[in-house]
Amino acid sequence: MLYALMGLGLSLITGVLNIPNFAHGALFAVGAYLLVSAANAIGNFWIALVVAPVGVALLGLAVEYVGIRRLYAAGHDYQLLFTFGLALILSESIILIWGPVGYSHLPPQILRGGLDLGFTFYPKYRLFVMVMAGLLVLATWLFLEKTRYGAIMRAGIENKEMVSLLGIDIQTLFTVAFALGAYLAGIAGALTVPIRGVNPGMGVDMLGIAFVVVALGGLGNLLGAIAAGLIIGIAQALVAAYWTEASTVVIYAVMAVVLLVRPQGLFGIR
Amino acid sequence: MKKPIVLLLLALVLLPIVVRPAIAAEIWIFAIFGLGLNLLLGYTGMLSFGQSTFFGSAAYVAGWLLKYYGINIFLALGIGVGVGAASAAMVGYLCVQRSGLYFIMLTFALNQLFYFIAYQWTSVTGGEDGMPGVPRPALLGIDFQDPLTYYAFISILFLVSLWLMKRIVESPLGKILQAIRENEVRAEAVGYNVPRFKLLAFVIGGAFSGLAGVLYAMLFGIVPLEAIGFAFSGNVLFATLIGGSGSLYGPVIGSFVFIVLSESVSTLWARWPLLLGLAFVIVVLFLRGGVVEAWSRFWSWRSLKQKI
Repeated sequence: MLYALMGLGLSLITGVLNIPNFAHGALFAVGAYLLVSAANAIGNFWIALVVAPVGVALLGLAVEYVGIRRLYAAGHDYQLLFTFGLALILSESIILIWGPVGYSHLPPQILRGGLDLGFTFYPKYRLFVMVMAGLLVLATWLFLEKTRYGAIMRAGIENKEMVSLLGIDIQTLFTVAFALGAYLAGIAGALTVPIRGVNPGMGVDMLGIAFVVVALGGLGNLLGAIAAGLIIGIAQALVAAYWTEASTVVIYAVMAVVLLVRPQGLFGIR
Repeated sequence: MKKPIVLLLLALVLLPIVVRPAIAAEIWIFAIFGLGLNLLLGYTGMLSFGQSTFFGSAAYVAGWLLKYYGINIFLALGIGVGVGAASAAMVGYLCVQRSGLYFIMLTFALNQLFYFIAYQWTSVTGGEDGMPGVPRPALLGIDFQDPLTYYAFISILFLVSLWLMKRIVESPLGKILQAIRENEVRAEAVGYNVPRFKLLAFVIGGAFSGLAGVLYAMLFGIVPLEAIGFAFSGNVLFATLIGGSGSLYGPVIGSFVFIVLSESVSTLWARWPLLLGLAFVIVVLFLRGGVVEAWSRFWSWRSLKQKI
Protein backbone atom coordinates (compact mmCIF):
# COMPACT_ATOMS: atom_id res chain seq x y z
CA MET A 1 0.00 0.00 0.00
CA LEU A 2 2.93 2.31 0.66
CA TYR A 3 4.20 1.51 -2.79
CA ALA A 4 0.85 2.52 -4.20
CA LEU A 5 1.08 5.79 -2.28
CA MET A 6 4.54 6.50 -3.68
CA GLY A 7 3.51 5.56 -7.17
CA LEU A 8 0.40 7.70 -6.93
CA GLY A 9 2.36 10.78 -5.90
CA LEU A 10 4.89 10.26 -8.65
CA SER A 11 2.15 9.51 -11.10
CA LEU A 12 0.48 12.85 -10.31
CA ILE A 13 3.69 14.81 -10.74
CA THR A 14 4.79 12.98 -13.84
CA GLY A 15 1.33 12.92 -15.36
CA VAL A 16 0.31 16.52 -14.78
CA LEU A 17 3.67 18.23 -15.20
CA ASN A 18 5.02 15.84 -17.83
CA ILE A 19 8.46 15.71 -16.26
CA PRO A 20 10.52 12.74 -15.06
CA ASN A 21 10.80 13.35 -11.34
CA PHE A 22 14.01 11.71 -10.18
CA ALA A 23 13.81 13.60 -6.91
CA HIS A 24 10.72 11.68 -5.82
CA GLY A 25 12.76 9.18 -3.80
CA ALA A 26 14.67 11.99 -2.15
CA LEU A 27 11.38 13.64 -1.14
CA PHE A 28 10.35 10.33 0.41
CA ALA A 29 13.62 10.23 2.39
CA VAL A 30 13.25 13.85 3.50
CA GLY A 31 9.77 13.02 4.80
CA ALA A 32 11.19 10.16 6.84
CA TYR A 33 14.02 12.20 8.31
CA LEU A 34 11.74 15.13 9.09
CA LEU A 35 9.48 12.77 11.01
CA VAL A 36 12.38 11.55 13.13
CA SER A 37 13.53 15.07 13.90
CA ALA A 38 10.05 16.41 14.53
CA ALA A 39 9.10 13.47 16.74
CA ASN A 40 12.27 13.92 18.78
CA ALA A 41 11.81 17.67 19.06
CA ILE A 42 8.11 17.67 19.87
CA GLY A 43 8.00 14.34 21.61
CA ASN A 44 4.75 13.41 19.94
CA PHE A 45 4.60 11.02 17.00
CA TRP A 46 1.17 12.15 15.82
CA ILE A 47 2.01 15.82 15.52
CA ALA A 48 5.24 14.88 13.76
CA LEU A 49 3.28 12.71 11.35
CA VAL A 50 1.22 15.75 10.42
CA VAL A 51 4.13 18.20 10.31
CA ALA A 52 6.71 16.17 8.36
CA PRO A 53 4.75 15.65 5.12
CA VAL A 54 3.65 19.28 5.16
CA GLY A 55 7.31 20.22 5.33
CA VAL A 56 7.98 18.03 2.28
CA ALA A 57 5.05 19.60 0.46
CA LEU A 58 6.46 23.07 1.19
CA LEU A 59 9.84 21.92 -0.07
CA GLY A 60 8.13 20.67 -3.22
CA LEU A 61 6.38 24.01 -3.57
CA ALA A 62 9.67 25.87 -3.32
CA VAL A 63 11.41 23.56 -5.78
CA GLU A 64 8.63 23.91 -8.31
CA TYR A 65 8.58 27.66 -7.91
CA VAL A 66 12.31 28.21 -8.19
CA GLY A 67 13.40 25.57 -10.66
CA ILE A 68 10.96 23.27 -12.34
CA ARG A 69 8.71 26.14 -13.42
CA ARG A 70 11.42 27.32 -15.81
CA LEU A 71 11.88 23.91 -17.36
CA TYR A 72 8.48 23.06 -18.81
CA ALA A 73 9.63 24.20 -22.21
CA ALA A 74 12.96 22.37 -21.98
CA GLY A 75 13.43 18.77 -23.08
CA HIS A 76 13.11 15.75 -20.83
CA ASP A 77 16.88 15.45 -20.73
CA TYR A 78 17.28 18.76 -18.91
CA GLN A 79 14.31 18.16 -16.64
CA LEU A 80 15.81 14.81 -15.75
CA LEU A 81 19.20 16.35 -15.07
CA PHE A 82 17.59 18.98 -12.85
CA THR A 83 15.57 16.56 -10.75
CA PHE A 84 18.50 14.16 -10.58
CA GLY A 85 20.74 17.00 -9.40
CA LEU A 86 18.08 17.90 -6.88
CA ALA A 87 18.00 14.30 -5.65
CA LEU A 88 21.77 14.39 -5.20
CA ILE A 89 21.59 17.66 -3.29
CA LEU A 90 18.82 16.39 -1.03
CA SER A 91 20.41 13.04 -0.26
CA GLU A 92 23.83 14.56 0.38
CA SER A 93 22.23 17.23 2.57
CA ILE A 94 20.57 14.45 4.54
CA ILE A 95 24.00 12.95 5.18
CA LEU A 96 25.38 16.36 6.14
CA ILE A 97 22.54 17.15 8.52
CA TRP A 98 21.68 13.78 9.99
CA GLY A 99 24.89 11.85 9.40
CA PRO A 100 25.58 8.77 7.28
CA VAL A 101 24.27 6.20 9.76
CA GLY A 102 20.61 5.30 9.88
CA TYR A 103 18.27 5.55 12.85
CA SER A 104 15.33 3.56 13.91
CA HIS A 105 12.28 5.00 15.58
CA LEU A 106 9.70 3.19 17.65
CA PRO A 107 6.03 3.55 16.83
CA PRO A 108 3.89 5.34 19.45
CA GLN A 109 3.01 3.36 22.57
CA ILE A 110 -0.51 2.56 21.49
CA LEU A 111 0.62 0.92 18.25
CA ARG A 112 3.37 -1.25 19.67
CA GLY A 113 3.00 -4.98 19.81
CA GLY A 114 0.84 -7.13 17.66
CA LEU A 115 -2.75 -7.98 17.12
CA ASP A 116 -4.23 -11.46 16.99
CA LEU A 117 -6.30 -11.65 13.83
CA GLY A 118 -7.43 -15.19 14.47
CA PHE A 119 -5.50 -16.72 11.57
CA THR A 120 -2.29 -14.79 12.03
CA PHE A 121 -0.46 -12.49 14.40
CA TYR A 122 0.20 -9.09 12.87
CA PRO A 123 2.12 -6.04 14.19
CA LYS A 124 -0.30 -3.27 15.08
CA TYR A 125 1.78 -0.57 13.45
CA ARG A 126 1.79 -2.30 10.08
CA LEU A 127 -1.98 -2.55 10.22
CA PHE A 128 -2.11 1.14 11.03
CA VAL A 129 0.09 1.92 8.02
CA MET A 130 -2.11 -0.15 5.76
CA VAL A 131 -5.23 1.64 6.97
CA MET A 132 -3.59 5.06 6.75
CA ALA A 133 -2.20 4.44 3.28
CA GLY A 134 -5.58 3.11 2.20
CA LEU A 135 -7.32 6.19 3.55
CA LEU A 136 -4.82 8.49 1.83
CA VAL A 137 -5.25 6.72 -1.47
CA LEU A 138 -9.01 6.95 -1.00
CA ALA A 139 -8.78 10.64 -0.15
CA THR A 140 -6.67 11.28 -3.23
CA TRP A 141 -9.15 9.34 -5.30
CA LEU A 142 -12.06 11.35 -3.90
CA PHE A 143 -10.17 14.56 -4.55
CA LEU A 144 -9.40 13.62 -8.13
CA GLU A 145 -12.77 12.14 -8.98
CA LYS A 146 -15.29 14.09 -6.96
CA THR A 147 -14.02 17.63 -6.60
CA ARG A 148 -13.94 20.33 -9.21
CA TYR A 149 -10.24 20.93 -8.85
CA GLY A 150 -9.56 17.23 -9.07
CA ALA A 151 -11.43 17.14 -12.36
CA ILE A 152 -9.32 20.03 -13.62
CA MET A 153 -6.21 18.13 -12.61
CA ARG A 154 -7.32 15.03 -14.48
CA ALA A 155 -8.05 17.20 -17.47
CA GLY A 156 -4.57 18.60 -17.12
CA ILE A 157 -3.14 15.09 -17.47
CA GLU A 158 -5.20 14.51 -20.58
CA ASN A 159 -4.68 17.76 -22.41
CA LYS A 160 -2.78 20.73 -21.06
CA GLU A 161 -3.37 23.15 -23.92
CA MET A 162 -7.11 22.63 -23.75
CA VAL A 163 -7.17 23.25 -20.02
CA SER A 164 -5.24 26.48 -20.26
CA LEU A 165 -7.39 27.58 -23.21
CA LEU A 166 -10.43 27.21 -20.99
CA GLY A 167 -9.06 29.99 -18.83
CA ILE A 168 -7.64 27.87 -16.05
CA ASP A 169 -4.38 28.93 -14.50
CA ILE A 170 -2.29 25.95 -15.53
CA GLN A 171 0.75 27.29 -13.72
CA THR A 172 -0.98 27.12 -10.36
CA LEU A 173 -2.33 23.71 -11.26
CA PHE A 174 1.22 22.48 -11.86
CA THR A 175 2.40 23.91 -8.56
CA VAL A 176 -0.46 22.31 -6.67
CA ALA A 177 0.11 18.96 -8.37
CA PHE A 178 3.79 19.00 -7.54
CA ALA A 179 3.15 19.93 -3.91
CA LEU A 180 0.49 17.25 -3.62
CA GLY A 181 2.78 14.62 -5.11
CA ALA A 182 5.56 15.73 -2.77
CA TYR A 183 3.12 15.52 0.15
CA LEU A 184 2.21 11.93 -0.72
CA ALA A 185 5.91 11.02 -1.00
CA GLY A 186 6.60 12.75 2.31
CA ILE A 187 3.85 10.99 4.20
CA ALA A 188 4.83 7.64 2.72
CA GLY A 189 8.34 8.31 4.00
CA ALA A 190 7.11 9.36 7.42
CA LEU A 191 4.91 6.28 7.76
CA THR A 192 7.79 3.98 6.84
CA VAL A 193 10.03 5.14 9.65
CA PRO A 194 8.81 2.93 12.51
CA ILE A 195 8.93 -0.10 10.20
CA ARG A 196 12.28 0.30 8.49
CA GLY A 197 14.00 3.21 10.21
CA VAL A 198 15.81 5.80 8.17
CA ASN A 199 19.02 5.64 6.18
CA PRO A 200 20.48 7.82 3.45
CA GLY A 201 20.00 5.19 0.76
CA MET A 202 16.26 4.80 1.33
CA GLY A 203 15.33 7.42 -1.26
CA VAL A 204 16.94 5.75 -4.25
CA ASP A 205 15.55 2.33 -3.38
CA MET A 206 12.08 3.80 -3.23
CA LEU A 207 12.54 5.80 -6.43
CA GLY A 208 13.08 2.63 -8.43
CA ILE A 209 9.97 1.10 -6.90
CA ALA A 210 7.89 4.19 -7.61
CA PHE A 211 8.99 4.05 -11.24
CA VAL A 212 7.98 0.42 -11.45
CA VAL A 213 4.54 1.26 -10.07
CA VAL A 214 4.06 4.04 -12.60
CA ALA A 215 5.47 2.03 -15.50
CA LEU A 216 3.03 -0.78 -14.75
CA GLY A 217 0.04 1.23 -13.60
CA GLY A 218 0.12 4.09 -16.06
CA LEU A 219 0.53 7.82 -15.56
CA GLY A 220 -2.19 9.43 -13.53
CA ASN A 221 -3.98 6.11 -13.33
CA LEU A 222 -5.09 5.71 -9.75
CA LEU A 223 -6.42 2.20 -10.04
CA GLY A 224 -3.28 1.20 -11.92
CA ALA A 225 -1.05 2.60 -9.21
CA ILE A 226 -2.94 0.72 -6.52
CA ALA A 227 -2.96 -2.53 -8.46
CA ALA A 228 0.72 -2.28 -9.37
CA GLY A 229 1.65 -1.27 -5.83
CA LEU A 230 -0.21 -4.26 -4.41
CA ILE A 231 1.21 -6.71 -6.95
CA ILE A 232 4.83 -5.84 -6.32
CA GLY A 233 4.26 -5.50 -2.57
CA ILE A 234 2.79 -8.99 -2.38
CA ALA A 235 5.42 -10.44 -4.71
CA GLN A 236 8.13 -8.96 -2.57
CA ALA A 237 6.64 -10.25 0.67
CA LEU A 238 6.20 -13.75 -0.75
CA VAL A 239 9.73 -13.96 -2.07
CA ALA A 240 11.18 -12.43 1.09
CA ALA A 241 9.68 -15.28 3.10
CA TYR A 242 11.57 -17.92 1.13
CA TRP A 243 14.58 -16.21 -0.41
CA THR A 244 15.48 -13.00 1.39
CA GLU A 245 18.34 -11.99 -0.88
CA ALA A 246 16.11 -11.81 -3.93
CA SER A 247 13.36 -9.71 -2.36
CA THR A 248 14.52 -6.47 -3.97
CA VAL A 249 15.36 -8.01 -7.30
CA VAL A 250 11.92 -9.54 -7.54
CA ILE A 251 10.23 -6.13 -7.80
CA TYR A 252 12.07 -5.40 -11.01
CA ALA A 253 11.82 -8.96 -12.23
CA VAL A 254 8.04 -8.84 -11.85
CA MET A 255 8.03 -5.63 -13.84
CA ALA A 256 10.16 -7.16 -16.59
CA VAL A 257 7.86 -10.19 -16.81
CA VAL A 258 4.70 -8.10 -16.89
CA LEU A 259 6.16 -5.91 -19.61
CA LEU A 260 7.18 -8.95 -21.63
CA VAL A 261 3.60 -10.15 -21.61
CA ARG A 262 1.96 -6.75 -21.77
CA PRO A 263 4.37 -4.14 -23.14
CA GLN A 264 1.79 -1.42 -22.65
CA GLY A 265 1.55 -2.00 -18.88
CA LEU A 266 -1.29 -3.39 -16.81
CA PHE A 267 -4.01 -1.15 -18.15
CA GLY A 268 -2.81 -0.55 -21.64
CA ILE A 269 -1.86 3.10 -21.44
CA ARG A 270 1.06 4.40 -23.41
CA MET B 1 43.41 16.58 -41.53
CA LYS B 2 40.56 18.53 -40.10
CA LYS B 3 40.95 20.80 -37.11
CA PRO B 4 39.06 18.76 -34.47
CA ILE B 5 41.09 15.65 -35.28
CA VAL B 6 44.35 17.56 -34.88
CA LEU B 7 43.18 19.02 -31.57
CA LEU B 8 42.09 15.59 -30.41
CA LEU B 9 45.40 13.96 -31.25
CA LEU B 10 47.20 16.79 -29.50
CA ALA B 11 45.03 16.28 -26.40
CA LEU B 12 45.67 12.52 -26.49
CA VAL B 13 49.41 13.09 -26.46
CA LEU B 14 49.53 15.96 -23.98
CA LEU B 15 46.97 14.75 -21.45
CA PRO B 16 49.05 12.06 -19.69
CA ILE B 17 51.78 14.63 -19.18
CA VAL B 18 49.44 17.12 -17.53
CA VAL B 19 47.40 14.76 -15.34
CA ARG B 20 48.02 11.27 -13.96
CA PRO B 21 47.82 8.63 -16.72
CA ALA B 22 45.03 6.88 -14.81
CA ILE B 23 42.86 10.00 -14.94
CA ALA B 24 43.79 10.62 -18.57
CA ALA B 25 42.81 7.02 -19.36
CA GLU B 26 39.56 7.42 -17.43
CA ILE B 27 38.66 10.43 -19.56
CA TRP B 28 38.91 8.46 -22.81
CA ILE B 29 37.12 5.45 -21.33
CA PHE B 30 34.31 7.74 -20.25
CA ALA B 31 34.33 9.28 -23.71
CA ILE B 32 33.79 5.83 -25.28
CA PHE B 33 30.93 5.32 -22.81
CA GLY B 34 29.53 8.72 -23.79
CA LEU B 35 29.79 7.94 -27.50
CA GLY B 36 27.51 4.96 -26.94
CA LEU B 37 24.96 7.03 -25.04
CA ASN B 38 25.12 9.81 -27.60
CA LEU B 39 24.03 7.46 -30.35
CA LEU B 40 20.82 6.95 -28.36
CA LEU B 41 20.35 10.40 -26.90
CA GLY B 42 21.80 12.67 -29.55
CA TYR B 43 21.12 10.76 -32.74
CA THR B 44 18.01 8.69 -32.04
CA GLY B 45 16.37 10.88 -29.42
CA MET B 46 16.10 8.16 -26.78
CA LEU B 47 16.87 9.37 -23.28
CA SER B 48 18.38 6.35 -21.54
CA PHE B 49 19.06 6.57 -17.85
CA GLY B 50 20.39 3.04 -17.63
CA GLN B 51 23.66 3.01 -19.52
CA SER B 52 25.63 1.70 -16.55
CA THR B 53 23.66 -1.56 -16.87
CA PHE B 54 25.72 -2.46 -19.94
CA PHE B 55 28.91 -0.87 -18.65
CA GLY B 56 28.73 -2.75 -15.36
CA SER B 57 27.54 -6.10 -16.75
CA ALA B 58 30.40 -6.17 -19.23
CA ALA B 59 32.89 -5.17 -16.53
CA TYR B 60 31.69 -7.94 -14.22
CA VAL B 61 31.60 -10.74 -16.79
CA ALA B 62 34.88 -9.88 -18.48
CA GLY B 63 36.51 -9.09 -15.15
CA TRP B 64 35.44 -12.46 -13.78
CA LEU B 65 36.82 -14.31 -16.78
CA LEU B 66 40.07 -12.32 -16.65
CA LYS B 67 40.45 -13.03 -12.97
CA TYR B 68 39.68 -16.74 -12.84
CA TYR B 69 40.38 -17.96 -16.35
CA GLY B 70 43.20 -15.61 -17.35
CA ILE B 71 41.74 -14.92 -20.75
CA ASN B 72 43.51 -12.93 -23.43
CA ILE B 73 43.00 -9.15 -23.37
CA PHE B 74 41.35 -9.00 -26.78
CA LEU B 75 39.07 -11.86 -25.88
CA ALA B 76 38.12 -9.92 -22.73
CA LEU B 77 37.33 -6.82 -24.78
CA GLY B 78 35.35 -8.91 -27.26
CA ILE B 79 33.38 -10.52 -24.47
CA GLY B 80 32.78 -7.09 -22.95
CA VAL B 81 31.40 -5.79 -26.21
CA GLY B 82 29.27 -8.91 -26.54
CA VAL B 83 27.90 -8.71 -23.00
CA GLY B 84 27.23 -5.00 -23.39
CA ALA B 85 25.34 -5.62 -26.61
CA ALA B 86 23.44 -8.62 -25.23
CA SER B 87 22.33 -6.86 -22.03
CA ALA B 88 21.36 -3.84 -24.12
CA ALA B 89 19.31 -6.12 -26.36
CA MET B 90 17.41 -7.44 -23.33
CA VAL B 91 16.81 -4.03 -21.79
CA GLY B 92 16.14 -2.44 -25.15
CA TYR B 93 13.57 -5.08 -26.07
CA LEU B 94 11.49 -4.09 -23.06
CA CYS B 95 12.04 -0.36 -23.39
CA VAL B 96 11.70 0.53 -27.06
CA GLN B 97 8.03 -0.29 -27.11
CA ARG B 98 7.31 2.60 -24.78
CA SER B 99 8.23 6.19 -25.35
CA GLY B 100 8.79 9.46 -23.53
CA LEU B 101 8.66 9.40 -19.76
CA TYR B 102 7.89 5.69 -19.58
CA PHE B 103 11.02 4.95 -21.55
CA ILE B 104 13.20 6.95 -19.15
CA MET B 105 11.66 5.32 -16.10
CA LEU B 106 12.00 1.83 -17.56
CA THR B 107 15.68 2.24 -18.36
CA PHE B 108 16.20 3.40 -14.79
CA ALA B 109 14.14 0.59 -13.24
CA LEU B 110 15.97 -2.07 -15.27
CA ASN B 111 19.25 -0.46 -14.25
CA GLN B 112 18.12 -0.99 -10.66
CA LEU B 113 17.33 -4.62 -11.46
CA PHE B 114 20.90 -5.29 -12.58
CA TYR B 115 22.25 -3.23 -9.70
CA PHE B 116 20.44 -5.27 -7.10
CA ILE B 117 21.49 -8.53 -8.73
CA ALA B 118 25.12 -7.37 -8.50
CA TYR B 119 24.52 -6.14 -4.96
CA GLN B 120 23.08 -9.40 -3.69
CA TRP B 121 25.15 -11.88 -5.66
CA THR B 122 28.13 -11.36 -3.38
CA SER B 123 29.85 -14.67 -4.10
CA VAL B 124 30.59 -13.45 -7.61
CA THR B 125 30.48 -9.68 -7.55
CA GLY B 126 31.67 -9.05 -4.01
CA GLY B 127 28.54 -6.98 -3.41
CA GLU B 128 29.27 -3.60 -1.92
CA ASP B 129 33.03 -4.20 -1.79
CA GLY B 130 33.26 -4.67 -5.54
CA MET B 131 35.17 -7.33 -7.39
CA PRO B 132 38.90 -6.71 -6.92
CA GLY B 133 41.85 -8.39 -8.57
CA VAL B 134 41.00 -7.85 -12.23
CA PRO B 135 44.35 -8.33 -14.03
CA ARG B 136 45.70 -6.57 -17.08
CA PRO B 137 47.25 -9.44 -19.04
CA ALA B 138 50.21 -8.80 -21.32
CA LEU B 139 49.83 -9.31 -25.05
CA LEU B 140 52.61 -10.35 -27.45
CA GLY B 141 55.20 -9.27 -24.94
CA ILE B 142 53.65 -5.84 -24.39
CA ASP B 143 53.25 -5.27 -20.68
CA PHE B 144 50.07 -3.34 -19.99
CA GLN B 145 50.93 -2.98 -16.32
CA ASP B 146 52.88 0.09 -17.31
CA PRO B 147 50.36 2.97 -16.99
CA LEU B 148 51.55 4.75 -20.10
CA THR B 149 51.46 1.64 -22.27
CA TYR B 150 47.92 0.95 -21.11
CA TYR B 151 47.06 4.59 -21.73
CA ALA B 152 48.34 4.31 -25.30
CA PHE B 153 46.26 1.15 -25.75
CA ILE B 154 43.14 2.94 -24.53
CA SER B 155 43.89 5.95 -26.74
CA ILE B 156 44.05 3.72 -29.81
CA LEU B 157 40.81 1.99 -28.87
CA PHE B 158 39.19 5.37 -28.30
CA LEU B 159 40.23 6.58 -31.74
CA VAL B 160 38.92 3.38 -33.29
CA SER B 161 35.62 3.83 -31.41
CA LEU B 162 35.35 7.44 -32.52
CA TRP B 163 36.02 6.47 -36.10
CA LEU B 164 33.47 3.67 -35.92
CA MET B 165 30.87 5.97 -34.41
CA LYS B 166 31.54 8.55 -37.12
CA ARG B 167 31.01 5.86 -39.72
CA ILE B 168 27.81 4.74 -38.03
CA VAL B 169 26.21 8.17 -37.75
CA GLU B 170 27.12 9.01 -41.33
CA SER B 171 25.91 5.69 -42.69
CA PRO B 172 22.35 5.14 -43.96
CA LEU B 173 21.62 3.57 -40.57
CA GLY B 174 22.71 6.77 -38.84
CA LYS B 175 20.47 8.80 -41.11
CA ILE B 176 17.50 6.57 -40.35
CA LEU B 177 18.12 6.99 -36.63
CA GLN B 178 18.22 10.76 -37.04
CA ALA B 179 15.02 10.59 -39.00
CA ILE B 180 13.45 8.75 -36.06
CA ARG B 181 14.70 11.47 -33.74
CA GLU B 182 13.22 14.20 -35.91
CA ASN B 183 9.87 12.60 -36.56
CA GLU B 184 9.08 9.11 -35.39
CA VAL B 185 5.68 8.89 -37.02
CA ARG B 186 7.00 9.99 -40.38
CA ALA B 187 9.92 7.55 -40.22
CA GLU B 188 7.39 4.81 -39.55
CA ALA B 189 5.19 6.00 -42.39
CA VAL B 190 8.09 5.98 -44.84
CA GLY B 191 8.37 2.29 -44.10
CA TYR B 192 11.08 1.93 -41.49
CA ASN B 193 10.51 -0.46 -38.64
CA VAL B 194 11.07 2.10 -35.91
CA PRO B 195 11.21 -0.21 -32.86
CA ARG B 196 13.72 -2.45 -34.61
CA PHE B 197 16.01 0.46 -35.46
CA LYS B 198 15.71 1.80 -31.93
CA LEU B 199 16.68 -1.62 -30.63
CA LEU B 200 19.62 -1.69 -33.01
CA ALA B 201 20.79 1.70 -31.73
CA PHE B 202 20.42 0.37 -28.20
CA VAL B 203 22.54 -2.67 -28.97
CA ILE B 204 25.28 -0.62 -30.63
CA GLY B 205 25.27 1.84 -27.74
CA GLY B 206 25.44 -1.09 -25.33
CA ALA B 207 28.43 -2.53 -27.19
CA PHE B 208 30.32 0.74 -26.78
CA SER B 209 29.37 0.86 -23.10
CA GLY B 210 30.58 -2.70 -22.70
CA LEU B 211 33.94 -1.89 -24.23
CA ALA B 212 34.28 1.08 -21.87
CA GLY B 213 33.29 -1.11 -18.92
CA VAL B 214 36.00 -3.71 -19.53
CA LEU B 215 38.66 -1.03 -20.04
CA TYR B 216 37.53 0.60 -16.81
CA ALA B 217 37.75 -2.66 -14.85
CA MET B 218 41.25 -3.30 -16.15
CA LEU B 219 42.32 0.28 -15.50
CA PHE B 220 41.52 0.20 -11.80
CA GLY B 221 41.89 -3.55 -11.32
CA ILE B 222 38.47 -3.68 -9.69
CA VAL B 223 34.83 -3.65 -10.65
CA PRO B 224 33.21 -1.39 -8.05
CA LEU B 225 29.50 -1.77 -7.36
CA GLU B 226 29.03 1.84 -8.51
CA ALA B 227 30.01 0.76 -12.04
CA ILE B 228 26.52 -0.70 -12.42
CA GLY B 229 24.76 1.89 -10.24
CA PHE B 230 22.37 4.62 -11.30
CA ALA B 231 24.83 7.40 -10.38
CA PHE B 232 27.13 6.22 -13.15
CA SER B 233 24.27 6.39 -15.63
CA GLY B 234 23.58 9.90 -14.44
CA ASN B 235 27.20 10.93 -14.74
CA VAL B 236 27.59 9.78 -18.32
CA LEU B 237 24.33 11.50 -19.18
CA PHE B 238 25.55 14.69 -17.56
CA ALA B 239 28.90 14.47 -19.34
CA THR B 240 27.18 13.99 -22.68
CA LEU B 241 24.77 16.85 -22.09
CA ILE B 242 27.38 19.35 -20.93
CA GLY B 243 29.47 18.47 -23.94
CA GLY B 244 26.45 18.93 -26.13
CA SER B 245 24.51 15.90 -27.35
CA GLY B 246 23.91 15.34 -31.02
CA SER B 247 27.42 16.27 -32.07
CA LEU B 248 30.12 13.67 -32.51
CA TYR B 249 32.64 15.38 -30.27
CA GLY B 250 30.14 16.50 -27.62
CA PRO B 251 30.56 13.50 -25.30
CA VAL B 252 34.33 13.66 -25.71
CA ILE B 253 34.47 17.27 -24.51
CA GLY B 254 31.90 16.49 -21.82
CA SER B 255 33.91 13.53 -20.48
CA PHE B 256 36.98 15.67 -20.31
CA VAL B 257 35.23 18.41 -18.35
CA PHE B 258 33.38 15.97 -16.12
CA ILE B 259 36.31 13.72 -15.15
CA VAL B 260 38.72 16.60 -14.56
CA LEU B 261 36.19 18.42 -12.39
CA SER B 262 35.01 15.40 -10.44
CA GLU B 263 38.52 14.08 -9.86
CA SER B 264 39.71 17.42 -8.55
CA VAL B 265 36.71 17.97 -6.28
CA SER B 266 36.16 14.42 -5.02
CA THR B 267 39.55 14.34 -3.31
CA LEU B 268 38.73 17.52 -1.42
CA TRP B 269 35.35 16.72 0.04
CA ALA B 270 33.60 13.40 0.68
CA ARG B 271 30.21 15.03 0.09
CA TRP B 272 31.14 16.16 -3.39
CA PRO B 273 28.01 14.70 -5.01
CA LEU B 274 26.29 17.67 -3.36
CA LEU B 275 28.38 19.96 -5.53
CA LEU B 276 27.73 17.70 -8.49
CA GLY B 277 24.01 18.08 -7.87
CA LEU B 278 24.38 21.84 -7.64
CA ALA B 279 26.34 21.77 -10.90
CA PHE B 280 23.49 19.83 -12.57
CA VAL B 281 20.96 22.36 -11.37
CA ILE B 282 23.04 25.37 -12.39
CA VAL B 283 23.80 23.93 -15.81
CA VAL B 284 20.15 23.21 -16.40
CA LEU B 285 18.90 26.57 -15.21
CA PHE B 286 21.52 28.81 -16.75
CA LEU B 287 23.74 26.96 -19.19
CA ARG B 288 21.40 24.83 -21.23
CA GLY B 289 23.01 23.74 -24.47
CA GLY B 290 26.27 22.60 -22.96
CA VAL B 291 29.85 23.80 -23.01
CA VAL B 292 29.85 24.48 -26.71
CA GLU B 293 26.95 26.89 -26.45
CA ALA B 294 28.20 28.52 -23.26
CA TRP B 295 31.45 29.16 -25.06
CA SER B 296 29.78 30.90 -27.99
CA ARG B 297 27.51 32.84 -25.63
CA PHE B 298 30.56 33.98 -23.71
CA TRP B 299 32.11 35.30 -26.89
CA SER B 300 29.00 37.13 -28.01
CA TRP B 301 28.81 38.67 -24.53
CA ARG B 302 32.44 39.79 -24.81
CA SER B 303 31.93 41.39 -28.19
CA LEU B 304 28.77 43.06 -26.93
CA LYS B 305 30.69 44.50 -24.03
CA GLN B 306 33.40 45.78 -26.28
CA LYS B 307 30.86 47.58 -28.41
CA ILE B 308 29.52 49.39 -25.38
